[in-house]
Amino acid sequence: MSPRYAFEKSLAELQQDILRMASLVEQAIYEAVESLMKQDVTGAAQVIMGDEMIDNLYLEIEDKCVKLIATQQPMARDLRVAITGIKICLSLERMADHAVDIARATMCLSGQPFTVKCLEYIPQMGRLARQMVKEGLDAYVNSDVQKAREMCALDDEVDYLFARMFRELVGNMEEDPRTVVQAAYLLYVSRYLERIADHATNIGEAVIYLVTGERRELN
Amino acid sequence: MKVSPGFFKGISWRPVASYFFLVLIFSALLQLYAYKKLSFAAALLIVLPLSTLLAWLLYRRVIEPLREITAAAGSIARGDLSRELHIYSEDEIGELARSINEMAGQLRRTIELVSGERNRMRAILDSMADGVIALDSEGRVLLVNPVIEEVFGIRGEACQGKGLLEVVRNYDVERVLQRALKTQEPVVQEVKVVGAGPEARVFRIHATPLKEAGRESGGVVAVMRDITERKKLEQMRTEFVANVSHELRTPLTSLKGFLETLLEGAADDPDTCRRFLKIMQEETERLTRLIDDLLHLSKIEERRVVHRWQPVDIHAVIHRVVSLFHPQAAEKGVALEAVVPADLPGVYGDPDLLAQVLINLVDNAVKYTPAGGRVTVRAREEKGGLRVEVEDTGIGIPPESLPRVFERFYRVDKARSRELGGVGIGLAIVKHIVRAHGGKIGVESTPGRGSLFYFTLPADEGTSE
Repeated sequence: MSPRYAFEKSLAELQQDILRMASLVEQAIYEAVESLMKQDVTGAAQVIMGDEMIDNLYLEIEDKCVKLIATQQPMARDLRVAITGIKICLSLERMADHAVDIARATMCLSGQPFTVKCLEYIPQMGRLARQMVKEGLDAYVNSDVQKAREMCALDDEVDYLFARMFRELVGNMEEDPRTVVQAAYLLYVSRYLERIADHATNIGEAVIYLVTGERRELN
Repeated sequence: MKVSPGFFKGISWRPVASYFFLVLIFSALLQLYAYKKLSFAAALLIVLPLSTLLAWLLYRRVIEPLREITAAAGSIARGDLSRELHIYSEDEIGELARSINEMAGQLRRTIELVSGERNRMRAILDSMADGVIALDSEGRVLLVNPVIEEVFGIRGEACQGKGLLEVVRNYDVERVLQRALKTQEPVVQEVKVVGAGPEARVFRIHATPLKEAGRESGGVVAVMRDITERKKLEQMRTEFVANVSHELRTPLTSLKGFLETLLEGAADDPDTCRRFLKIMQEETERLTRLIDDLLHLSKIEERRVVHRWQPVDIHAVIHRVVSLFHPQAAEKGVALEAVVPADLPGVYGDPDLLAQVLINLVDNAVKYTPAGGRVTVRAREEKGGLRVEVEDTGIGIPPESLPRVFERFYRVDKARSRELGGVGIGLAIVKHIVRAHGGKIGVESTPGRGSLFYFTLPADEGTSE
């Protein structure tokens, strides 16, 4: 047994915990977008309630990282692993909060059939955001800088969709003032999705910092 | 010391005798030399060739075969089992070489057996319709089958030895398997998986602990069955019941309302009474139609309908149906025409059921075509049969609804359909009738431009000749 056995083991556990949290966040984003599109209030309520679990997991992981630094006093890359752990789960927690924001919007929009036209952008943005979370975590687990960069490039697509959606929603509002409330909520939703993608690029930056020790702005 | 007879049997006497003889000669020479009967040079002259002979014999008989055996054993250890040792002699070394040959053969057979077994297992796993994941006792992935690879968008070789979360990235799946691993009890649960595909799928996971002999805890094997379709069916059934109840209740509520009004005194006024009764009659008719349709559909679905099979003149059937709808179309301002060549191949079937198919299709076409539009019924010969089309210039069907229009109670626009008196089972009936005749049914549509429903009927062998 290597003298670093305990340390290696807790690092592996930390990684598993982060993956667990990421899978929950990915699911929350999916459910939030899905329940918005289907106007499914129960689904939205589940997303809101599920956030507590993600928050608890976040605190747990943060505690583990702090304990790791305090008891093992890691150096260089090992230290960066612990620090990156904190950064990534912080980003994930923010994403989950945005998923909750989307679910809240769903609640507010319940019972009003959509009359605006640019709905198809939302699932597209949701899909991209989830893909970014997934690939960001893949990059983290495999310490894959290349993958982290590729993932961050997806952010441009999300930004593009956000810009288009913004233009079209504003157009909708100008055309038909009755859609203003709905369009305003959907504007928020697209903004939340865009923020989720931004948090995903933070994960990518954290991975690059983990592997190379460099700080690189990828957004 | 007692020597067992087997001891002598096991010895090969030839080499023993020859070595014994050589040693005897050396002893004799030593004796002669010791008693000065032999000069050193003479002794050397005798001993040198003898020693050379002895060394040569030793080399050929012992060292060379042993070296070969050592090399062979080495290559066996490296996994090359194809090497066959040459057997030089029938002595112990020959025996050793033979044993090694036997051992290599045995190993080869065992390995073939094991790899055959493994290939068979792999083939079974690969051909399974369910997903399979196996984990070792540490929770690391041992194997996944192609279904899992497809669902989660991963590559099987890449996930071996990785943590489950790295592979499936789904919290619920992980939790089920971890629970089975920790408790060593089977776990069954339904989970929703948002995998590589765009749609979420529902799986029922059976996670079973692997009991390995002599170990406290083994791994876990999980079988994931895709129950998305079944869930959808369940959903459809629930919707069906809800729809039927709703459709039944609407005319009933109206009947009840008018009845109550009549009882409360409206019956005294003959005009009102008559008007109400007229409405009630319409509602009753609608109710009857709905129940008839439902019974009809369930009969066709259960294939209980007695088909009166006979040669059908499709030309006549189309014209009859079209003339049936002429008044309705004219009233709506829709042009209705039939383009049917006279020399169509004969088909075999139930004329009433085929008329029902056309009635439903033409009825829909006229209903969903605004004034000024056009509905055309066409029939033409096709390879091996007949193709009938009903084309309209109506509102069309959005592409996402196209695959579902033949489902019972599926309606593209519920409100509008109900307004037009539809209950959403006409097309389901059409589908079942066409299928019962061995034909195919389909639809093409562009929203805003119109729809084209078509069905095919196989030619009647007897009359087409």
